[in-house]
Amino acid sequence: MIKLTINSQPITVPEGTTLLEAARTLQIDIPTMCHLEGTGHFTSCMVCLVKDTRNGRLMASCSMPAMEGMNIITDDDECRESRKASLELLLSEHVGDCEAPCQLVCPAHMNIPLMNRLIAAGNHDKAIEVVKRDIALPAILGRICPAPCEAGCRRKQVDEAVSICLLKGFSADQELEKGVTPVQPKEQSGKKVAIIGAGPAGLAAAFYLNKAGHQVTIFEKNEKAGGDLFQIEESVLPAKVMEAEFSAILNSDIKTHFNVEVDQQRLEQLQQENDAVVLATGAINGQLKGWGISLSKTGVEVNKDTYQTSIDKVFAIGNALRSSKLAVRSVGQGKEVAFVIDQYFKTKEVKPYPSRFNSKFGKLQETEFVEYLKESVDEKRLEATRGKAVGFTMEEAVAEAKRCLHCDCRNPESCKLRELSDIYGAQQKRFQYDERFKVEKEFAPQNIVYESAKCIKCGICVRITQQYQETFGFSFIGRGFDVKVGVPFSESVEKALEKTAALVAEKCPTGALAKTNTEEQLK
Amino acid sequence: MTEEIQQIISQVDKVIQQKGNTKKALIPILQAIQDEYNYLPEEALRHVCDTTEITPENITGVASFYSQFRMKKAGQHLIKVCVGTACHVKGAGQVYDAFKRHFNLTGDEETDAEGNYTLEKVSCLGCCTLAPVVQVDDVTYGHVTTDKVDSVLQDFESQVGKTGKKSKYRNADGSEFQGEIRIGLGSCCVASGSDEVKKEIEQTIEGTGINLQLKNVGCVGMCHQVPLVEVIDENKKSKLYAKVKPNEVADIIHEHFKPKGLIDRLRSNTFHWLEKMQTDTVWEGVDRYAIDVRDEMVSSFLDRQLPIATEHRGVLNPLDMDEYRSFGGFDALKRILQTDRHDVIRMVKDSGLRGRGGAGFLTGLKWELVEKEKAEKKYLICNGDEGDPGAFMDRMLLESYPYRVIEGMLIAAWAVQATDGYFYIRAEYPLAVTRIRQALINCREQNLVGKNILGSDFSFDIQIYEGAGAFVCGEETALMASIEGNRGFPTIRPPFPAHKGLWGFPTLINNTETFAQVSYIIRNGESRFSEIGTENSKGTKVFSLTGKVNRGGLIEVPMGITIRQIVEEIGGGVQNGKQFKAVQVGGPSGGCIPASLYDTPIDYHSLLEVGAMMGSGGLVVLDEDDCMVDIARYFLSFTQNESCGKCTFCRVGTKRMLDILNRITSGKGTKKDLEELKYLAEWTRKGSLCNLGKSAPNPIVTTLRYFYEEYEAHIEGRCPTGKCTAMITYSINDECIGCTKCAQKCPVDAIKFEPHKKHSVNTELCIKCDACRQVCPVDAVEVV
Repeated sequence: MIKLTINSQPITVPEGTTLLEAARTLQIDIPTMCHLEGTGHFTSCMVCLVKDTRNGRLMASCSMPAMEGMNIITDDDECRESRKASLELLLSEHVGDCEAPCQLVCPAHMNIPLMNRLIAAGNHDKAIEVVKRDIALPAILGRICPAPCEAGCRRKQVDEAVSICLLKGFSADQELEKGVTPVQPKEQSGKKVAIIGAGPAGLAAAFYLNKAGHQVTIFEKNEKAGGDLFQIEESVLPAKVMEAEFSAILNSDIKTHFNVEVDQQRLEQLQQENDAVVLATGAINGQLKGWGISLSKTGVEVNKDTYQTSIDKVFAIGNALRSSKLAVRSVGQGKEVAFVIDQYFKTKEVKPYPSRFNSKFGKLQETEFVEYLKESVDEKRLEATRGKAVGFTMEEAVAEAKRCLHCDCRNPESCKLRELSDIYGAQQKRFQYDERFKVEKEFAPQNIVYESAKCIKCGICVRITQQYQETFGFSFIGRGFDVKVGVPFSESVEKALEKTAALVAEKCPTGALAKTNTEEQLK
Repeated sequence: MTEEIQQIISQVDKVIQQKGNTKKALIPILQAIQDEYNYLPEEALRHVCDTTEITPENITGVASFYSQFRMKKAGQHLIKVCVGTACHVKGAGQVYDAFKRHFNLTGDEETDAEGNYTLEKVSCLGCCTLAPVVQVDDVTYGHVTTDKVDSVLQDFESQVGKTGKKSKYRNADGSEFQGEIRIGLGSCCVASGSDEVKKEIEQTIEGTGINLQLKNVGCVGMCHQVPLVEVIDENKKSKLYAKVKPNEVADIIHEHFKPKGLIDRLRSNTFHWLEKMQTDTVWEGVDRYAIDVRDEMVSSFLDRQLPIATEHRGVLNPLDMDEYRSFGGFDALKRILQTDRHDVIRMVKDSGLRGRGGAGFLTGLKWELVEKEKAEKKYLICNGDEGDPGAFMDRMLLESYPYRVIEGMLIAAWAVQATDGYFYIRAEYPLAVTRIRQALINCREQNLVGKNILGSDFSFDIQIYEGAGAFVCGEETALMASIEGNRGFPTIRPPFPAHKGLWGFPTLINNTETFAQVSYIIRNGESRFSEIGTENSKGTKVFSLTGKVNRGGLIEVPMGITIRQIVEEIGGGVQNGKQFKAVQVGGPSGGCIPASLYDTPIDYHSLLEVGAMMGSGGLVVLDEDDCMVDIARYFLSFTQNESCGKCTFCRVGTKRMLDILNRITSGKGTKKDLEELKYLAEWTRKGSLCNLGKSAPNPIVTTLRYFYEEYEAHIEGRCPTGKCTAMITYSINDECIGCTKCAQKCPVDAIKFEPHKKHSVNTELCIKCDACRQVCPVDAVEVV
């Protein structure tokens, strides 16, 4: 037996135990990527480095055997810096998007490719569910949104962007036609939130706060909800669409007080009566002066990440911050402030709306169009033949959704590279000096996709296919920086993975080998 | 099935029958297939998988790992441009580009349109003193310059198909090397009138057909004898004339050379000259090896040296066993067979001998660790995978002293009770393989290798394993992976090879040079050895001294000798009277030691202290014309290329450091780049799995430490030495005499052909190939 200490905890382990195994028995977590139990260690990714304080040396814990007298530290600044450095190096050659450019461009951060896949598969119930995670007023926005997402759409490089905006509207219309089931929160928190203003921002905040189980009361100076949306012409945004969508939101536990002008005194009262207040008043034109709230040149001054104003428990969103014609931004802020407030109730802390690490590689090269088209159709962009105010027919929607290139990664949640990059604050661009690798996609049965440019050369697939004695399997090809993981003799991925396709896709630590139908973000 | 495929299949079957059908036969099988086809046809590889235990994954991984293997059909002839360190500093990159232009190759193309020639860079051919070196099939051309591409190819083509003995080493202009005259042009020499002597020599040989190379050398150090003229005749004999006067020149020349036509008769003479393989410019090929006693000329080269691994250099015929025995060869083996093996280990331990492969682990201790292991089998490996560009010690030792290395291995094997031995020899050293193969046959005949050696109960056999081109295989775990038929991926240590090595058995791995020093210790006693050297570094070290030095070659010196002593006294100073700038020690793992540390003693500790390391023992002398940022970039491009690609820090870290150095040397660097370079150097050192990666930043770290101002100059847009082509322009000054030589040479017509007028360079068209500068008779081409 071997005696050593890890993070000052003494431990005795049998000879041959690795430092990683020893640490895990002490419930000490050390990150890994290339390590896979049962396939022998490989020591490639180097995110598991730990330090022996006796000599200051860093070593890969996944394969270094525990030795007598070692004094190991797993998480000091140097260990953390080593992980950040190795992640940044891996990211510098990792060509792939965690999330599609359209989603990153969307001010409400809507999961567009997932919606597209669901529409294309005829799963419209799920599609609207996905839309409404981020956009509370999809039917309205489906008609009026200037669609910044379509500017970001990769398909635009090939021919024309996917009609994302119309697809979102289509999903919403489907649900409205069927009748929207009112939101039923799982449980009531007992917390109260007052929202001032029933425009797009206020309604969105109300929708998500109500959904989270908080008691929401809206105060609106006009006689009905909608705010600036009423300035939009009927031919663009029919009133009945608006009304249907508003009542779908308000037809729940949300209380509404129309024709109520909130003044400073009322605000102070609301502060006392509620656990949080959201200012979603629309452009303020100076009327909040002297209320004791800090103002900027454009409107209410808030912390950009939390929407918190200078007053405790009071948040502000939408045009109250800065006048803009972009309703989707207001709607997005409604979602975000609801999340911040919900977290605040749960943790007593006002924390920023989380932003995740995103690997990005920018524009496609012309030679790569064909790779992305493998998962798409070679069809022209469709517009709604019945006009945008009416929207897509079912056939149009399904056909248009199929034009999506699915730029998003299929393992956005399980990808260890993304997860660790988040944890260690890795910057992808830091060491990107040279041309990037070319994107190549190869599809195989059982919905397998292999994207070599996302590979971190951990060799897990090589070891698995070896272990299961695949005829061809995967192999390392070449060496040095140019080493690739590929199939011997240029055989297909299908031939490589006759027995192990599902397993290999599951164990790949990134999205290089993935199942296209995992839909991790649907769960 | 086509006839071609059928032919391939039956050929592969033959190979498999010869080499075996197990995984460990994989690399030998691939080598045999490539020997046959010049590349590895996919049909052949598939057939190997069909008929052996080798899998497609295995064969693809291995074939694509080693640089020796080619997956694409190559041209009829193979041109290898050596880009080792010594060749690099002497312009190998430009030579490569010149060949590329000659064959109209663009981008990644390697083979010319007709399929006649394939052009390759090779990391080091180990002929560093002939730099730059180009090999066309089996003919080696030394001192090749950009304007000699045509003559090299013409000469090669004139040889193709010729039978009979031909010289394997030729001058770049294709002529048989007839002789050389060296004139000292150190300041003392010039002051005493060496210029006049030079002119007289030129006039004397003109029109005689004598093919002489007239060479200027820097100060030889014997300044009281100036001017000095050294004559090296076609028999490679060297003679030094002191205080030469112009009117004596004709006599001297006719003393040594006969006009053309008599050459053939003269060539039948046996070649006798001491340092033909070992000193600058006169290395005439390794397949002739007879020896003569030195004269004055080389004495300065030898005085400072102390031959142990190279004992009896210049006297021993490599394969003559009787001769080896007459100098006490195999006495040590006989003696230890009568000695307790623990005493043998103690002797080696007490001698202070440390591993000569670079890291300097105490040899005796390593032996002790292996000896202690209990196992049914123990392996012993002689590491001759000398991949260092700019180093050729192992090659020299294996070629010239095969019995001494074998004897060292036998002693070690007996001491640690090893049962099976391997010579792991680099693919680029075919002659070393031939020699060792023959030496082993001879040893077997004499019962020195095999069962019951010399009648004892000690049995030990040795086989040869040829590497396939991977620097990382010098690392012991990668080397073993390679013998086992795998990609040369290093693995984490522990387990150390002494405990769990080849196929899981205890394994002793020592460097060639280490083994070569063992018999001396046994014969002369450990204290004779430990008396030599310094406190912590005992004995001698073999170095290959190359680069911008007058007398490059293989040297063996006592530990503790200073760099200055090596360069000035043994090497005869820097070439062409230039200023010494730095010496690169230890190759890609080592560092650059600047002139300010000229007196650094050579031992393990001192070298580490200044940021370098012993490495395997390459010493490349750099002069004032060498750009240190370019040197760092050169080594990084080497390690980046040789990284096995397994761990992140080495695979990507070396690439990103190279990216930064490329930016800096192309004038796009920023201050921030320097910071990031330091950061990456630090983390690549700390985080890499094996010593290749851990030591890869050393060339950067030392150049940053000692030549920071050069990095800064590049960032400000200047390459102080004019080496970085992106940052320089060529122009022609008023010295131009209008001879048109430059215009004729210019491969891109950037210089207009205007006889008797001052020429000029069109910088838009100029590709900075340096051909004009090299050819200009009046040094009118300027680089700014």
